[in-house]
Amino acid sequence: MEAKEPKKFIVPIGPQHPALKEPGHFEFSVDGEIVTGASIRLGYVHRGIEKGTEQRNWIQNIYLLERVCGICSHVHAMAYTLGVEKLAGVTAPPRAQAIRELVAELERIHSHMLWLGVAAHEGGFDTLFMYSWRDREVVMDLLESLTGNRVHYSTNVLGGVKIDVTPELADTIRKGCDFLEERLQHYLRVVTTDETFLARTRGVGPMTLEQAELLGAVGPTARASGVTRDIRIDAPYASYAEFPVTVVTDNGGDLTARFVVRIKELFESCRVIRQILDNMPESELVAKVPRRIPAGETISRVEAPRGELFYYIKSGGGDRPERVKSRTPSLCNWSTISTVAVGHKLADMPMLLAGIDPCFSCNDRMIQIRRKGHEDQLWTWEQLRRYGIEYYR
Amino acid sequence: MSLSLHPLIVLLFFPGGLFLLGSGMFYEWIDRKLVARYQNRLGPRWFQPLADVVKLLAKEEIIPQGVHPGLFIILPVIALASALTAALYTPLLGLQPYYSFQGDLIVTLYLLSVMTLSLGLAGANSINRFSLVGATRTITQLFSYEAPFMLALLGPAIAAGTWRIAGINEFAGQSLWMILTQPIGFIVALIGLMGKLELPPFDAPEAETEIVAGALTEYSGRGFALFRIGKNVELVVGLTLVSAFYLGGLMNPLEFVLKTLGLLLVMAGLQSLFARLRIDQTVGLWWRMGTLVALLQLLAIVIGRALPGLF
Amino acid sequence: MNTEELLQQAEELLKPWAKEVSRPEDNRLDVRIEREDLLAAVDALILKAHRGYLAAITGLDHPEDEQVELVYTFPDMAALVNLRVSVPYADAQVPTLCDLIPSATLYERELMEMFGVTVVGTPDPARLLLSDDWPEGVYPLRKSFTGFDQLETESES
Repeated sequence: MEAKEPKKFIVPIGPQHPALKEPGHFEFSVDGEIVTGASIRLGYVHRGIEKGTEQRNWIQNIYLLERVCGICSHVHAMAYTLGVEKLAGVTAPPRAQAIRELVAELERIHSHMLWLGVAAHEGGFDTLFMYSWRDREVVMDLLESLTGNRVHYSTNVLGGVKIDVTPELADTIRKGCDFLEERLQHYLRVVTTDETFLARTRGVGPMTLEQAELLGAVGPTARASGVTRDIRIDAPYASYAEFPVTVVTDNGGDLTARFVVRIKELFESCRVIRQILDNMPESELVAKVPRRIPAGETISRVEAPRGELFYYIKSGGGDRPERVKSRTPSLCNWSTISTVAVGHKLADMPMLLAGIDPCFSCNDRMIQIRRKGHEDQLWTWEQLRRYGIEYYR
Repeated sequence: MSLSLHPLIVLLFFPGGLFLLGSGMFYEWIDRKLVARYQNRLGPRWFQPLADVVKLLAKEEIIPQGVHPGLFIILPVIALASALTAALYTPLLGLQPYYSFQGDLIVTLYLLSVMTLSLGLAGANSINRFSLVGATRTITQLFSYEAPFMLALLGPAIAAGTWRIAGINEFAGQSLWMILTQPIGFIVALIGLMGKLELPPFDAPEAETEIVAGALTEYSGRGFALFRIGKNVELVVGLTLVSAFYLGGLMNPLEFVLKTLGLLLVMAGLQSLFARLRIDQTVGLWWRMGTLVALLQLLAIVIGRALPGLF
Repeated sequence: MNTEELLQQAEELLKPWAKEVSRPEDNRLDVRIEREDLLAAVDALILKAHRGYLAAITGLDHPEDEQVELVYTFPDMAALVNLRVSVPYADAQVPTLCDLIPSATLYERELMEMFGVTVVGTPDPARLLLSDDWPEGVYPLRKSFTGFDQLETESES
């Protein structure tokens, strides 16, 4: 992408830049320290997952889609399985639905705490970064003891879940929540009272309710501008109808509000986790789902930690989907950046970028390898896989 | 306390040269370790700064396109040399400075600024955008903390009635600790030192999440190592100056170690307490607050010294 | 307002342009419209009546009809309204929604490179996801795309 006017001084951020732990490319044209424009280029980690789903059967796709994102893996698998169950006309048993919600809320805690650390780091507040990531280990351990994995939980199967919560585990989770709530109270106090931190967040990146609506912001980013939109409440899925959450909004619209909304959401998560554990319904864990899913199409929406996650699933009646479309919440929030960034200081950009909690995830099946003096080589997935196996043998 | 040594030994080994480099690395380690402990991390082992320097020195130095090569190579040398020279006028290790003359305080302060100036030039020399933004910020920051830092160090000088660092040190050793008589000056001096060393929260010139490594983005290998050592030496010199002036003088090695490390403990705490200030906030803080209170302090001292004569 | 009422209201609003209306699911209303009517329908639904927001533009390839179908999804609480527009391969063009809904730009860029549907008037037609050296005219989410090895053999034969 070229500068539209020749005299612009452009500061590139990404694809490789210390501010972004994932590859995305932003170009900020600046006048001194003031940003006058911004443009976005994504796709550095595009892996072609949507295309990939068309070559895999319904069950394989759970595991593929879970790998769309390393932070909010459960919600992807949950959105997909809920959609497929709807197509198959099967409803997962109540206990399975409750466990899905439980894992989703634990995942929200881990994701928001991760974000808190990253955002603090972007603002040069490394102490908060270190502390919040230390405490995040607690919820990671809970998820590991519950599902066996720290990141890709593989909780969902078509028709239910494959893990159960024992009374001992429930006690461990309750204790973990107690600890986390206490720490989160502390962080809430830090982000709302620490003067140097407030100097970096208060009034930065303000987005009004109208702008948020117009720019299509979702999730906590939108809720920090007063948009009361939360799929968990608007269109309850899994067991959110039995164990409801209340929506957390803030009217600030700036970065401080985004911090406050995310942390307050976690109190709500902790509360609902306890409620689920105390009233866990008794039932089977899995309902039977046919191998071939009846033809039809459906839309499945869930509230990921970053906002609304949208899945469109179409079945042709075979053992593979015709089309799976996933629209991640980060995509909606990107467009807020380029509008809100203008007029801010360059120093605010990393925090503003982090403020929407971006997550770069999509997909590609081939790798192009270039060596000096050789012709370009195109590798298919199979070749690449074989190469990987040979390499590590 | 005073020793008489051959000038070459003074320059190359003690207290100049090797001793300064060694103590610089030691203080860097203490600083990193303290900040790490404050942040609930383990922190590096004692030889980490040395290992860093050895590694950097062993690496290839890449001279990027678009820079003036001579300037690119000489700037780190100038930076380190000026920091080392500044040390000669300070009561390192609680010993008498080896060179001392009326007005050496001013020379030392300027030598310390040469370090920052070379940093800014090094950034401006490059065509890298991050370096350019970093250089602008470095120089902007220099203009903001320099005046209050100087005013804060002039306070004790006026109280002592001399412009010799050795003389002020002596005066400080005999009178009440100046941290008590000039508390504002001490705070300004300490925070000014943090600004000078680009430590958090004044690390906007090298904010890694915005402009990678600021002015030093294009530096690698030897040049980067020299800049780092230069900064470490400046840390030692700065700590020595502030503790000599405000913490009752440095008369012997034990006093030196205790007072400078005590100061470092406070500084490390301040580093981990705050979020990074934006460059405009830094400038605002220094000119709206720092300079004004330092001036007030200075005014009070001048009046305090003049009053007895009037009556 | 419950889901049923929301959907009925949307159906009322979209009636002037609807070619075909169906209710495949309890919470979903599918309305097939012509692409010329797209802007008018979105304007009536979103800007005039404030019913929901643009959640996604899903492309569906129908190689048997040589068509790409575009599904514009507008959720409002639990209710989902799908506007479905079909465009033939030979004339794969739709008007942009960006004048009405600025956030559509990223969805439209994705649609252009993945399905080869030209979105007329979209503010930034540059690639969003595919790499810079991706060949022109290859649209990965069309059913005809099955990887480059096969493509090459096909073109050789």
